[in-house]
Amino acid sequence: MATELPVVNGNGAVGGADRASFTVKTGLARMLQGGVIMDVVNAEQARIAEEAGAVAVMALERVPADIRAQGGVARMSDPKLIKEIMEAVTIPVMAKARIGHFVECQILEALGVDYIDESEVLTPADNAHHVEKHPFKIPFVCGCRNLGEALRRINEGAAMIRTKGEAGTGDVVEAVKHMRTVTNEIQRASTMSDPELYDMAKEIGAPYELLKETVQLKRLPVVNFAAGGIATPADAALMMQLGCDGVFVGSGIFKSGNPERRAKAIVQAVTHFKDAKVLAEVSAGLGEAMVGLNVSDLDEGKRLAVRGW
Amino acid sequence: MAKDIQPIVVGVLALQGAFSEHIQLLRQAAKSLSALDPIDLHWTFSEVRTLAQLLQCDALIIPGGESTAISLVAARSNLLEPLREFVKVRRNPTWGTCAGLILLAEAANRTKRGGQELIGGLDVRVDRNHFGRQVESFVIDLDLPFLPLSGREDIGGGRRPFKAVFIRAPIVEKILPIREGPQVEEETLDETIIAPSRAPEGAVAKEAVGRPVEIMAILPGRVAALPNKPTTTRPEGGSSDIIAVRQGNVFGTSFHPELTGDSRIHVWWLGEVRKAIANRRQLDGVHTHERLP
Repeated sequence: MATELPVVNGNGAVGGADRASFTVKTGLARMLQGGVIMDVVNAEQARIAEEAGAVAVMALERVPADIRAQGGVARMSDPKLIKEIMEAVTIPVMAKARIGHFVECQILEALGVDYIDESEVLTPADNAHHVEKHPFKIPFVCGCRNLGEALRRINEGAAMIRTKGEAGTGDVVEAVKHMRTVTNEIQRASTMSDPELYDMAKEIGAPYELLKETVQLKRLPVVNFAAGGIATPADAALMMQLGCDGVFVGSGIFKSGNPERRAKAIVQAVTHFKDAKVLAEVSAGLGEAMVGLNVSDLDEGKRLAVRGW
Repeated sequence: MAKDIQPIVVGVLALQGAFSEHIQLLRQAAKSLSALDPIDLHWTFSEVRTLAQLLQCDALIIPGGESTAISLVAARSNLLEPLREFVKVRRNPTWGTCAGLILLAEAANRTKRGGQELIGGLDVRVDRNHFGRQVESFVIDLDLPFLPLSGREDIGGGRRPFKAVFIRAPIVEKILPIREGPQVEEETLDETIIAPSRAPEGAVAKEAVGRPVEIMAILPGRVAALPNKPTTTRPEGGSSDIIAVRQGNVFGTSFHPELTGDSRIHVWWLGEVRKAIANRRQLDGVHTHERLP
């Protein structure tokens, strides 16, 4: 199991009256722990996800694998589609906004989605800034490749973090790399004296206070999910054993041979991630996994994870 | 004497949700209990994902999370019937927060299409996502009448308010008549689902039959939606929302005491558990662990 996330943690940048609002934002993320959040493109898929035991769905027009294949600018989904999905299920609905596109976030907030993913899977709208997330009432989840990126996002107001992985590939290698990088950096930081920590904060571009809190907790100060390339129950359990608090599955379910079965299997795998017998049982007879792209064959320009700053 | 102080095993259902937070609060609560009474050191807190783990437990917490996900995973992990056995047949002390309250209700509204499985145990009907979506989630200071008075002068010897966190929370919208069988009238209502009935077994369980539903806390009117405003709960309330109930062995809260760092409710509940277990051990005359099938 991951290192425990203390019940009262928070955000070095926030105190006083904002504390309550951050408690509510991080609180929903805590309710999603040990669960699977699934990408869906219509109400029918959302219902399949709900029946499979998803803790939330991510409403979007195209799954990352299609965004990758079709190219072009990827934007926030049509509000009509998001509304249809919100009406179809009772579990929380998340939606993606482009990096830095605060107006898309305002629209999503007005729609009443439960979480916004400021996501590198969509084409970034700002090449220097992320959205300032604290003023929103809706909580945000953001991707990271390393500790500095994670802490910058939390500083901006993200109430939940996920690895970036390499979305739409079905190749888990990048998600593993990003999770291991975060863990290793936290380990490295925890051996440091204060002057060294100041230096590390500067080096990784993270606020010192949040880095200090991370060292004390021995983990990220918010809920941290795996995302990007998870395609099998074994992938999901791998990320959980590496210390993630839950899993996002994007293209991996609805681009596979038997989405219902695979979705259920991944849900069981995330609950029983340490029980190899259960994992063996749920991994059997799932049909074809999504075809997949090897991340090592992708040109640098085709990688989504490098978006974000 | 030493024989009497067998550890009490409190499980937290860990299929999904905020189970780690409850374990942390239980540990914190046990610490304050042992500070009051050095003999009170005999608690074991454990995560429950399997039948074998459930069978070790004297009491159980069902945490917040997504009630649909928890119920589906419980069914697929062959835990749903054993949970009903634990709560309704054996009548072991059980506490549900938010999603846990939904699962412990005999009837629920606004479930997903096709309904969802409930464990049951509380003769109430809950309304899921009562306040709406995440934008409607809130934190509010409440006075909880079942917590002990603090004796602190700055608050007139009263209780420190409890910071209650409501996240896409359900409420108890109706107290149902006490039934031995299923809540059949509820089943006839549109979009309302009910839990299956299970007959209690054993002296302790039979003693628990017919207990009334006690309203433990109320969120007064629409004032509730205003954050950071202390409110007073009334045990007998008009049109206000019921947010905590108890019936015999089962306790449920719509809010999340596990998100606050304030372990007073956990301390109170462990006290109730200790009383119930002492009574059970006396009546059964044996350790409870061997008794489940």
